[in-house]
This record gives sequence, structure tokens and C-alpha cells, in this order.
Amino acid sequence: MAEQAKSIWRPRSAWAGIVEAGQIGVDGKPGVTALTLDDMGFATLIVPPGSPDLASATKRMIGLDLPKKAFVSLSSTHGVAWAGANHWLLFARQQAGFVDLLQSFSDHAAVSDQSHARAALTVSGPRVREVLAKGAMVDLHSSVFPVGATALTSFAHVHVQFWRTDDGPDGPIFEILVPRSMAGSFWSWFAASAAEFNCRIDRD
Amino acid sequence: MRIACPHCGLRDVQEFVYLGDAAPQRPDGLAATEAAMFEYVYLRDNPRGLLEELWYHGVGCRAWLVVRRDTLTHAIEYVGLAKSRKAGAAA
Repeated sequence: MAEQAKSIWRPRSAWAGIVEAGQIGVDGKPGVTALTLDDMGFATLIVPPGSPDLASATKRMIGLDLPKKAFVSLSSTHGVAWAGANHWLLFARQQAGFVDLLQSFSDHAAVSDQSHARAALTVSGPRVREVLAKGAMVDLHSSVFPVGATALTSFAHVHVQFWRTDDGPDGPIFEILVPRSMAGSFWSWFAASAAEFNCRIDRD
Repeated sequence: MRIACPHCGLRDVQEFVYLGDAAPQRPDGLAATEAAMFEYVYLRDNPRGLLEELWYHGVGCRAWLVVRRDTLTHAIEYVGLAKSRKAGAAA
């Protein structure tokens, strides 16, 4: 009887070998905080124009309203972000159960699992806008980019989708997704840009 | 130069890819003459002034746009979604 081949493949964080917990830059109180989000699930949802039932299905399954353009709907466990015409990004804070959720959504939209294709990061702190402004081409001022806004754009030539969640005690909080293969390039830019404000880095 | 994407708002031109004149309509496949196909594929005017062009918002919402731009001043007087134009209508 042939021996069964034993797989050596293991799940690996998109930030593994790139981001280490710690502190970069000057000493003192951090002006920016970055937290890698290693257990999130992502999927794109695409529907034909005028397709009626994705909104009601989203409400029923995760209790969220399908957002209008350039906005994100968030709960403590899930979210759904506008990602183009008739196109949304569904996400979960934990990968457990995500595949089953996608199975349910597949009755209402074309679903494509992107969980291992994105590297996700939360950035916050009183100086966070000054860091992002070094690479962003969109205006992040509250009058233009309020809580709940999302944008597809690029930071330092890396394609990103990002959104603004509820403010924390230290000011605005942004969640940023980059293509997994660009995580190293993105982090190189972010770390260099954040160092002057003192950046604390936490791993999920 | 910035383009006001109907989905995303005012965005830097770096986010877009330029295709060219929005006017040419592809002739009807196998029925078209070689001359008509040649004209469609290769021949373009190069006007000084207003031109309707196709741009692709590749770094944003991934929509094709029709942009009416002055080729002399880069002033943009109209931006719309290419898909909202009827197939076969003069673009």
C-alpha cells in the first residue's frame, strides 16, 4: 500500500516575514498605530444590473444594509463595502464559518473568495492622516471622507481598497486592503512614512 | 489633470488608462469590407479642441468612461459612463 503523501502546505499570514510587532521611529507616545488583520475573510459579490435580491439577502444573513456607492456597512462581525458598479466586497472578522456564508450568498450573487488574496491592516492614531497623505491621491479630511466612507484608489502606487470605521479615542481609524503580493511593497512605504511620527505595530 | 469619475469623484489622472477617440464603432464582423475594418482599426483624427475619448478607471471602480476633453487646454467639460451609451449609437 502506497504511503499517503503528507502535505507540507500550511496557511501563512500575508504579513508573515514582513511585519513584526514592535515600535518604529522616534521614542515616546505613538502618533500612529498599525494592527495586522490576519484572520479576516473577504469575497467579491457581483450581480447583474438591477438584480433585486442581494440587498434583502445581505440584510437577512448578516444584518447589514447593502451600501450605496463609496460607503461601507459594518457590524462587529461582518462588513460589506461598495467596490464598483454592481460590485461589493463582503468580509468577516473571522474566517471560521466564512465559506458557509459564501455558499449562502452564492444564491444571490456571483461570489469569489478573496480571503487569501488580500493583506489587511488597521491604521489609527492622531497622526494617521499625515502618514497616508504621503501616498494617497484622495482627500481624507472628514468633510470629504467621513466615517463609513470607502475608496478604491492607490497608496504609493499600490492598488488599495480602504474605509474609515468609527473613530477611536485617538482619532480616525482606517482599514486598508492591499493585494497580498504587494504587501511587502506597501509595508516598506508605510513603515518609512510612519517612522517620523513614532509607530506602534501590533500583530493580530 | 484630474477626471471626475461618476462613481468615485475627482481622481488623479494616474488612476486612469487612456484608450482614445470614443467615436469609432466596430463594423459588423464578417460582413465588413477590408477597407472599413482598416479604417476602424488604424485611422484616427487628431483634432485640436474638443474630443470625446474613452478612459478606463483601472485603479478605481474599473468602469469605462467617456470624457469630453479639449486637447489644447486639457479642460474637461463632460464625463459619463461608457456603458450608459446605447451600443451602436454614435458615441
